[in-house]
Amino acid sequence: MNKGRLLAAGIAVATLLLLVIGTMWPVTSAVAYAGGGQGDLLVAPSTPEAAANDLGTQIRLHAWDKAYSSLANKAEFTQDQFIHDLTGYALSLRTYATLDGFEVQPLHQTANDADMIMKLRWSTVVGTFEDKRNVHATRSGDHWAVNWPIVPEQHVPPQVIPVNYLRWDVITSGSGDDWGAQDVEAPHVRIVDMHPVNRADGVVVMGELLNEDVIPAYVSVRSTLLAKNGSVLDSEGSFDMISHTLLPKQVTPFVIRFPGVDLSDVASIRMQPLSVLVSASADPVIEVLNQQYNAPPGASLTGQLSNQSGQTVNVAHVISSFYDKNGQLIWVAGQYIDRALQPQTPVDFHISVPEDIARNVNTERTVVSTYVLGGSL
Amino acid sequence: MAAVAIHLPLMLMQLPLKSYDTNFHIFFASHYVHHWFDPWNPKWFAGFSQTTYPPLPQQWVALVSWVCGLNMAYMAVQLAAILLLAIGVYRFSRLWVGPRAASYAALASVFLGNESFLVYSAGQLSTTFAAPIYLNALPFFFDWLRYGKWRSLLKASVLLVAAAAAHHATLIFGSAFFALPVIALVLMESSESESDEKTSVQAVIARTVMLTVLVGAAIAVVLLPYWIGLIRYPITQTPIPHPSRASYILSPQWGLNYFIVPYGALILALPFIVIRGAAVTRLRPLLLGFWVAFLVGLGGTTPVGKVLLGRAFEVLTFERFSYWAALLALPILGLVLVEFIDRFRLKAAIATALLAASTCALAVAWSSIRPADAANFDVASVALWLNRDGHDRFRYVTLGFGSKLSRLAIMTDATSVDGESNSSRMLPELTKFGGAALTSSKYFAKPGLDSLRAMLAHADRYGLKWVIVRDSYYDPLLYFAGWRQVDELDDKTITVWGKDGVPPATPMNASQMPPHWQGVLWGTLPFGFSILALLVIFLPEERTRGFRDDDVSLSREQALNGEVLS
Repeated sequence: MNKGRLLAAGIAVATLLLLVIGTMWPVTSAVAYAGGGQGDLLVAPSTPEAAANDLGTQIRLHAWDKAYSSLANKAEFTQDQFIHDLTGYALSLRTYATLDGFEVQPLHQTANDADMIMKLRWSTVVGTFEDKRNVHATRSGDHWAVNWPIVPEQHVPPQVIPVNYLRWDVITSGSGDDWGAQDVEAPHVRIVDMHPVNRADGVVVMGELLNEDVIPAYVSVRSTLLAKNGSVLDSEGSFDMISHTLLPKQVTPFVIRFPGVDLSDVASIRMQPLSVLVSASADPVIEVLNQQYNAPPGASLTGQLSNQSGQTVNVAHVISSFYDKNGQLIWVAGQYIDRALQPQTPVDFHISVPEDIARNVNTERTVVSTYVLGGSL
Repeated sequence: MAAVAIHLPLMLMQLPLKSYDTNFHIFFASHYVHHWFDPWNPKWFAGFSQTTYPPLPQQWVALVSWVCGLNMAYMAVQLAAILLLAIGVYRFSRLWVGPRAASYAALASVFLGNESFLVYSAGQLSTTFAAPIYLNALPFFFDWLRYGKWRSLLKASVLLVAAAAAHHATLIFGSAFFALPVIALVLMESSESESDEKTSVQAVIARTVMLTVLVGAAIAVVLLPYWIGLIRYPITQTPIPHPSRASYILSPQWGLNYFIVPYGALILALPFIVIRGAAVTRLRPLLLGFWVAFLVGLGGTTPVGKVLLGRAFEVLTFERFSYWAALLALPILGLVLVEFIDRFRLKAAIATALLAASTCALAVAWSSIRPADAANFDVASVALWLNRDGHDRFRYVTLGFGSKLSRLAIMTDATSVDGESNSSRMLPELTKFGGAALTSSKYFAKPGLDSLRAMLAHADRYGLKWVIVRDSYYDPLLYFAGWRQVDELDDKTITVWGKDGVPPATPMNASQMPPHWQGVLWGTLPFGFSILALLVIFLPEERTRGFRDDDVSLSREQALNGEVLS
């Protein structure tokens, strides 16, 4: 073989070799784009963990056909039901969530059966949430397949729900597009409690804001930390850790975080509540059911949200305040509900409380703010 | 003529406006129109310096826009680059093959899928503008190394600096992929020459060093504001994912996008390119250059890119490497075509023409089949809204606007905290998480949404009052974060959200503002070198380079009989 042919053969062989290496042991970016695994080159899984990992990869890639056909119990439900189980039956945070990652934890395994926990970490526009599923895998011949624990859609019987909620409308004199520049006095709001604490990741300022007025208010709180020499250390707002719409006499907790700031450096805190008159209604009414504080270890507040109105609530945000035995506010935490709240259909919530704070919790209070698609203007 | 016949109508249709980056280049050009000597642009990122991106193509667009407006100016400059590419490919090919093969290579460049992909889908004006200048410089580079002609040194230097002023990355990587094979060719040719034409290895090395130092120094001066910015504010941002780094085998949808569409029928020719390139001794350096560029251009399909580029692998995008690989393959392709057509005559000519036309057509059509923005919409109503009633006293971000973000920035006086130039971003909310433009946050999953949330949380800091939304996906975040919908535009397909209590925007990032002398330098030297390149190119040159006219292309029999083989 002359040098030319040798070189051509060498290039061809080396290229093929590099392609094989790149496919068998892909670089990080390639793994990410292949959904965390080997993408479309998946072979039949030979272990229960591999079956669960493959399923997670397919879910991540939205390869619904492959994910559904790989399930051992697919005869029990349709592919649409499987997809809706993961993405929600009604428009919700799940609908457009992307699977950020997943973990598979083996619990128990025999020659033909295995139990595992799949923790799916979803990323949504308002943050991440975890979906934990106990999955059962079975062996069929030389490969394993997962039994998907589907959560069936709950149907509410047809009924008429009377609506008699309060509602406030606002008529402005301007064009209406610059809603902050109004020609009416702002609603009277007041911070009724404020409590800074030092945490590992910085200072946390929490408190409660009361709408003292007889009109609804759109509220937010800004906090500025001042050093001993009077200089500004940092200034942050409550962002989404507050219920922005307050009806008359309503109270909302709020949390403002200052990452990287130490409380010992703070001489004083300047609080700036802001309120604007807005149209508002008491609908939809969300009832908190079976609220229960679970003491440490693993302290949490659990309960259910029940939508008492006749319309679907697409996204709900639960914010809970925790008080010590003196009635002092000691912690505020929240959770977005990843499933839509259908009328009369309770949905669970679960809010974790840090262990060091959990020991002092005596009472708690929960508020729920809601987002209904198309109802924000 | 072929280039004009094919690409002129497409340019007149303004097809590149559908691409990812065209509006970005036009936005930069629109700033140069009004502020040629002031690269500080307050419209993006609460203020940024355009010295973070080599300016030459945008400055030419700005200049030509005085005649025909920004859009058509862009098309004119892009068309000029396409025409220049055919010339550059011919001249570069003549170093390696005879005139007939070089002509075929030049003709193939007109139909090259990689070129059309970059022009009509990616909108990479800088890459497609710099590459032809670089290719035109290489024959002079060869002449300087081979014969020590001072005029060639001058021409090569000026052209290389002009190429760097258009796109510095082309020069950096081009040196490895294009220049090293030329140096190897000089050494090979010299060793085979008669004694009076021999050039010693030491002389070649000395001339290479001399040119490198000269060009390096010139580039250091011409792009001085860029280097100063890079040293003062090194790029430390979290790498942003790009699908060109995927494995095209594990993720075939990206393989289609970054391999099948750009290469097109050239894929069928790859085995012949390798066989012919390996068979002819003088083509081997070129073949090796092509091969390495080809492997790197495969992104994450092989480990080569990651191994060769290290951390830069996570920063660079790889469609341009495929483009360079294709350009390197063209001289050999020209030779393959000569033999193919000589052997099969009309049948070969028809088949080649059909395959070339299909390749070009697919790459051009790809911008419509897989458009950069799913929906084509007009941002005029948004610009009008921002420009009235003092709305432009505050900053804004768009969500769901894709590359229309740049188009809007051209049309409005209002300033934004977002933007499309990833290397120009300094705001920590944008650089920390690994998302690209905020307007496309959701496509970057958690990193993109974390970045958006961080920016919205600091709205007061930046005077960010308006969020203009064309994707209701983002509505829940805005609602819960304290923003309220205040208006609807464009038949309710676009909503405007506002936040109360936000102070008006004030000038920011003053420490990053380049001083006046840098602005003068930026407005003078890069463009000046392109004018100089146009002038020196017409200096007469003695023809003694590369593959001689009398060498004609190799016959199949010669090749097979090993007459010119090793």
